[in-house]
Amino acid sequence: MLIVVLLASLPVLAAADSQWVLQQSTLTYHVSHPLHPSEGVSHGAKGKGVCHAGQCEFLIAVPVKSFDSGDSNRDLHMIQVTRGAEFPLVTVRTRLPESDAAASTINADLEIQFAGQTAHYKQVPFKVEKQGGETHITGTIPATLTDFKIDPPSLLTMPVKNDIPVRVDLTWRPQ
Amino acid sequence: MLRNWPCKQLGTLLWSLAVCVLVQVAAPLTAQTSTGVVRGTVGDESGKAVRNASVTATSIDTGQKQTANTGSDGTYKLELPAGDYRLTFEATGFTTFEISSATVSATVPVVLDGKLEKGEQVNGQATPTQQENLPNAPSSSTTAPSLSDLGLTPEQTQGNAREQALLDKRTHMLKIHQRMGLITTIPLIATVAISFNAGGKSTSSASRDLHAALGGLTGDLYGITAYYAIRAPRVPGTKKRGPIKFHEAMAWIHGPGMILTPILGIMAFDEKNKGEKVHGIASAHNPVAIVTAGAFGAALLSVSVKF
Repeated sequence: MLIVVLLASLPVLAAADSQWVLQQSTLTYHVSHPLHPSEGVSHGAKGKGVCHAGQCEFLIAVPVKSFDSGDSNRDLHMIQVTRGAEFPLVTVRTRLPESDAAASTINADLEIQFAGQTAHYKQVPFKVEKQGGETHITGTIPATLTDFKIDPPSLLTMPVKNDIPVRVDLTWRPQ
Repeated sequence: MLRNWPCKQLGTLLWSLAVCVLVQVAAPLTAQTSTGVVRGTVGDESGKAVRNASVTATSIDTGQKQTANTGSDGTYKLELPAGDYRLTFEATGFTTFEISSATVSATVPVVLDGKLEKGEQVNGQATPTQQENLPNAPSSSTTAPSLSDLGLTPEQTQGNAREQALLDKRTHMLKIHQRMGLITTIPLIATVAISFNAGGKSTSSASRDLHAALGGLTGDLYGITAYYAIRAPRVPGTKKRGPIKFHEAMAWIHGPGMILTPILGIMAFDEKNKGEKVHGIASAHNPVAIVTAGAFGAALLSVSVKF
């Protein structure tokens, strides 16, 4: 009798909502300039994932001011040119099948809001590694300045390159 | 040819060049247009004032944006260059309201009120009006997490138009500082180059005159460069890190040096004109000038090249 009850409850448990929380994050943007390439790193991302009926919706938000390039002057200029005081967050939304948690690579469609603009990136590849109870995801978002209508900063009259790839290193744990 | 020019004419020419350079550099960065006023009130469906709503005016011609927040009475005011704008009204908990086109006149203030409806909004930004039909594109289902679920502080989520305006002004002034600094290196290098024929055993007054005139031009351009750096707004709470610390430290050498060098130079100039050998404190003009130029060059390189 007990076994029948347990077996009957399995489909209900499988369809039950589950949640993920972003445990750790490292986001790194890279800006290319002939004389002065630079990177800025943020560990300030917060994220949550909600899974329902086999589909998971994720939201990650990173304060623009949390990016640190090691140069306070450059960081202030970055905040100014990306209008980070007016639009203080970078938000990333994506929806993935719950089964992707078991895959070694996933391809995600991303909706990113940054500098007052919204850009969509299709099928961005990410590596997935299970580490104990946590899921470690790494990849690079191929962002560009023109995607977000950002005027390219310049140094010694030379502008930086349009590509600003963002390396992503996220550790999620089930809540 | 310049050798035959009297010192006064040469000085006048160099002054005129300095003014032309300044106008060329500053004019594009300080575009002056007639300014108009846009004001109004932002309220909800019941007519109640919405405080701390963000009102963004985007120039249809240039894409430039300016934002103001409403006060406790729901009113806002924007001062904008005359032209055509798109206005966007946003507030947490409300859907975005947009006026797609409004003309701002320099003569008559424009009153534009915003009416907001209750609804979901993300990050104080306009909800996208178009979205590609991506197979795994995020949906707007009710199970989707929202910003309020992430535990971010109001300071992290709320935009600050005043702070953005401060940053814009700071960048604007530092851009002029950067350009003027580069321009200053030209007469600085010329002054140093000419100095080899201006002093020592040389008896030519033409080289001395040219050296003095170039030195004067360098000093004037340096002053303008320094002005924009000193007057650029500071951002409260920012701790200086990185090459900017060295860049600013060099100013404590080339700043006093740019004052001392011409003073010693005038003394040396007078002694040479009297047919005397440069002596005493005036003989420090050369080493002080070299140290000043070296500090200036180091300051420039520290923020230009990654070492």
